[in-house]
Amino acid sequence: MNYTDILSSKFEPETTGTTIMAVIYDGGLIIGADSRTSSGQFVADRCADKIDYVHDRIFCLRSGSAADTQIIAKYVRYYIDAHAQELGRLPAVATAANLFRNFLYEYKDSLSAAIIVAGWDPYKGPQIFTLPLGGSVIEQKWSIGGSGSTFIWGFCDSNYKENMTLQEARAFVLHAVAHAMYRDGSSGGIIRLLNVTKDKIEREFIDYKDVPVK
Amino acid sequence: MIFNSEISGQQQHTTSPVVTGGSVIALVYNGGVIVGTDTLCSYGSMAAFKNVQKIAQISKNTIYASSGEFSDFQQVVKELAKIDRSALQYDDGVHPSPKDYGNFLARLSYKKRCKINPLYLQNVVAGFHNGERYLALVDIYGTYLESNFITTGFASYFCKAIISNYWNENCTLDQAKQVIRECFKVLFCRDCRAHDVIQLAYVDEQGTHIEEQERVDTKWDFNGFKFRANEKLHTQ
Repeated sequence: MNYTDILSSKFEPETTGTTIMAVIYDGGLIIGADSRTSSGQFVADRCADKIDYVHDRIFCLRSGSAADTQIIAKYVRYYIDAHAQELGRLPAVATAANLFRNFLYEYKDSLSAAIIVAGWDPYKGPQIFTLPLGGSVIEQKWSIGGSGSTFIWGFCDSNYKENMTLQEARAFVLHAVAHAMYRDGSSGGIIRLLNVTKDKIEREFIDYKDVPVK
Repeated sequence: MIFNSEISGQQQHTTSPVVTGGSVIALVYNGGVIVGTDTLCSYGSMAAFKNVQKIAQISKNTIYASSGEFSDFQQVVKELAKIDRSALQYDDGVHPSPKDYGNFLARLSYKKRCKINPLYLQNVVAGFHNGERYLALVDIYGTYLESNFITTGFASYFCKAIISNYWNENCTLDQAKQVIRECFKVLFCRDCRAHDVIQLAYVDEQGTHIEEQERVDTKWDFNGFKFRANEKLHTQ
């Protein structure tokens, strides 16, 4: 654990010590994230948006080094844009996941990045791909990541159900992220939720006072 | 002052703290001294123990708080309480003053610093004695500083400006409390190891008053927070 105590002044790189989560429900998927970007013990950004746009129905959740993940997301956003132009239709979520994977795998010795790619496409519907540190790609029905995720594995394992409704999935993500923020010092602030379906994207801002666990 | 580890000959060297408490902020006001802490003990980056009382009453007119390793805080509380008890042996009604405790802690900290086995703490001793307000900082090395306002840990970076602008040494108790609350709001926003439930304690002519824990309000619903740059770059 990179612990910087109060009496030393080592510089810690800015990371999204974080809690990120995505869950597929019957009809779409819900994405949730906290809003704290930390640089060691200092909160560099208390209202960050960790849900990054990749394409109209593809998003990525970033954890690890903020610098690494931001630049990789920027590249993938560009590649997917060019690809979608040529394709003439919505790109596959798996395509975006593969583009991320190429970066994380080829530069695995230099990068500190773990990403969750989540989205909807017309070919396979809602999908979630988890890309941990080494560059593997694992498709899942639900995924949690970041330092805060360690605190909610038990909660998620016992509360996840297949084919939840939108309300159930939203409550599941909201409470899980809130529980993680409650215990992880590197997660905190407000919760951002995103509902991705075939027809629309809905963003939600959960103010600190509405976070269910404080 | 001999610690068990030193008797047995096994030197323990404090390498890095395990369970830590956050910042302490202390101010004098026109009738006494007030100390504030939050109520969180962290286990590394985990917010492990909430609702912890980190301000201790040492005697009728002295209180003590510290940031750093929590087990060392508890040990110091034991040692300072021992001093107060042993003063009873003289049976003359004379009790150590707040400054006596501050001085003792400074000597103890310096001794341990010389043995490269410090108490991993930044200590604040506060009290009111013979009409005089007392407030002192003793750091990990045994440096002793009496002052009208004290901040430890991250608060030293963020809160001195707030204190300079909104506090003076003759303000009222309520004004001092408000300043401390503002400081902890900023800390909650900007310190990963801070919590928004705080506790205040003050010492005046009547004695020590330790208040109930309270939650400070922070504002998060700014428009700039809700609608970030991401939104405008990629609208759909």
